[in-house]
Amino acid sequence: MVSVPASGTTTFTRSIEDAARAGRRIGTTLVGPAVLVVIAVNILPAFFGFYSSLRKIFFFGDEGFAGLDNFRALFADPVTWEAIGRSLIFTFGALALAVPLALLAALAVRELGARGRILLTILLVPWAMSPIVVALLWKWILLPSPGGLFASILATFGMPPANLLSNPTWAMPTVIAVAVWRTFAFAAIILTAGLGQIPKDLYKAAAVDGLTAMERFSRITVPLLAPSILIVLSMLTISYFNEVQVIIGLTSGGPIRSTTTLAYQLYLTGFVELDQGRGNAIAVVMFLINLVLIVGYVQLLGNRKGGEA
Amino acid sequence: MNQSMRLSGRAALLAASAIATVVVLGPIIWAVSTSLKSDNHIFAVPPRLIPDEPTLMHFQRLLAEGVQWSFLNSAFYTVVAVAFAVAVGGTAGYALVRYPVPAKRALLILFMGVMSIPSYALLLPTQVIFVRLGIFDTRLALPILYAAHVIPFAVWMTRAHFATVPRELEQAALVDGYSRFEAVWKVIIPGARPALIAASAFGFLYAWNDYITATTMVESPDLRTLPVALIFFQGFHGRDWGALMAGVVIATLPPVVLFLVYRRYLIGGFSEGSVKG
Repeated sequence: MVSVPASGTTTFTRSIEDAARAGRRIGTTLVGPAVLVVIAVNILPAFFGFYSSLRKIFFFGDEGFAGLDNFRALFADPVTWEAIGRSLIFTFGALALAVPLALLAALAVRELGARGRILLTILLVPWAMSPIVVALLWKWILLPSPGGLFASILATFGMPPANLLSNPTWAMPTVIAVAVWRTFAFAAIILTAGLGQIPKDLYKAAAVDGLTAMERFSRITVPLLAPSILIVLSMLTISYFNEVQVIIGLTSGGPIRSTTTLAYQLYLTGFVELDQGRGNAIAVVMFLINLVLIVGYVQLLGNRKGGEA
Repeated sequence: MNQSMRLSGRAALLAASAIATVVVLGPIIWAVSTSLKSDNHIFAVPPRLIPDEPTLMHFQRLLAEGVQWSFLNSAFYTVVAVAFAVAVGGTAGYALVRYPVPAKRALLILFMGVMSIPSYALLLPTQVIFVRLGIFDTRLALPILYAAHVIPFAVWMTRAHFATVPRELEQAALVDGYSRFEAVWKVIIPGARPALIAASAFGFLYAWNDYITATTMVESPDLRTLPVALIFFQGFHGRDWGALMAGVVIATLPPVVLFLVYRRYLIGGFSEGSVKG
């Protein structure tokens, strides 16, 4: 064995240190722009929004520190609680419709093989559309006049035209249906991927054991698909809770506030009524609710993974 | 017995798929049909799917209103934002995989955390900041905001893919006498192509389809995006459903074509993320 001269060793270590330092420098330089943009455009406005929620700001005029007044006024106002209630109705109404539809679609996609992929592509087309454009399209379809598509379908069943969007009872279900029309297939992608992970042998073995299709579904598909269903529930919950564009386009929160969710209330208070102090207070509340939803989501998924390992 | 049950099950499945297809595509086809009908055929009773005398008059009316400029605005904001976001986000994603970046975990949490802030909740403070900086109601406002919302997503998406490009491949390229730049351009970027395409396509859908950011950050008619222009058009010509559906067709064509062309990457991007995530 040739002994390594002392000087050689130090040069060697020094060059490793240099390389590490150079690596850190290059890494920082490459990550820098992304971090700077994200801090400047996302993080700073978030802090500024929080600061503004503690001040009385109306029509861009800052009238000074207000403490928690905006929040107190917000929660003392029954309108806020109604809006929160409507957000929950919208979110869970849409989930109740979207998840079973997505599951059906995913089962069909798997069953149909190559044609299933075409089906999934077709079902996903509305998802590529702008929510506001989807709203315009459905306004035209739901137009309560002879010659309107929906009115004509009703007419073939002998029913008079219905003005769903200006009916306080029907506006919310209609807005939910349109939101689901746009998004349910997105959940089907994740469920299709989840179904693909279930070994086919399990179904063969179950068929040999004489299980019916219903039993195979409840004993194999549902339990093994549970992680994917959980992902879908979490992602859709967050996305429906924050939905605002479809509502702006279809009903502008009406009629008589029947579709004014918390997300729409934020838009209305901040940008229409120009009460920026209170608008920012709603934004802070929205952010906190989102945070709870996301932490819950990560917790649920994290625990499940831990359980499997 | 079993055989016939399977067959009837399959028939039910096909029927359900057919109904789903009609419910999903029907409204879109109806919009296209309306956009091609002449004014006096639009409200025909009973409605007809195939226009009697197809006409482009509604599209011409939109052109007369200058909607093409809003289309170009949308295209400009979207392309600038996506190019910037994917370049910056992809670079960061690459660095986070290949270099010993300080505070790597904190940065990843930062990018993830930013994705969890609903973007419209930041619009009120952003408007005030942009007014003070003189960016409000300029051509810069929307590209900056769209890029900032797409960057975290691009980082997460490309990071996973850069990790799959073997380090040896890069080193081999360097040994072969390529410069750093050439190695990145010829070896690393092609290796991460699916992620770059998926991130670009998602960014495109987000920016092109946005309404709320565009309507709160831009006021001048000259700077409007297409969705905002359509809502204004509706405000003035509420009953002109022919022109409005022509607008729906124009606004929908780019994202839908993009989705159909890149569906493999888009669907893959999500299903991979969910199964592995």
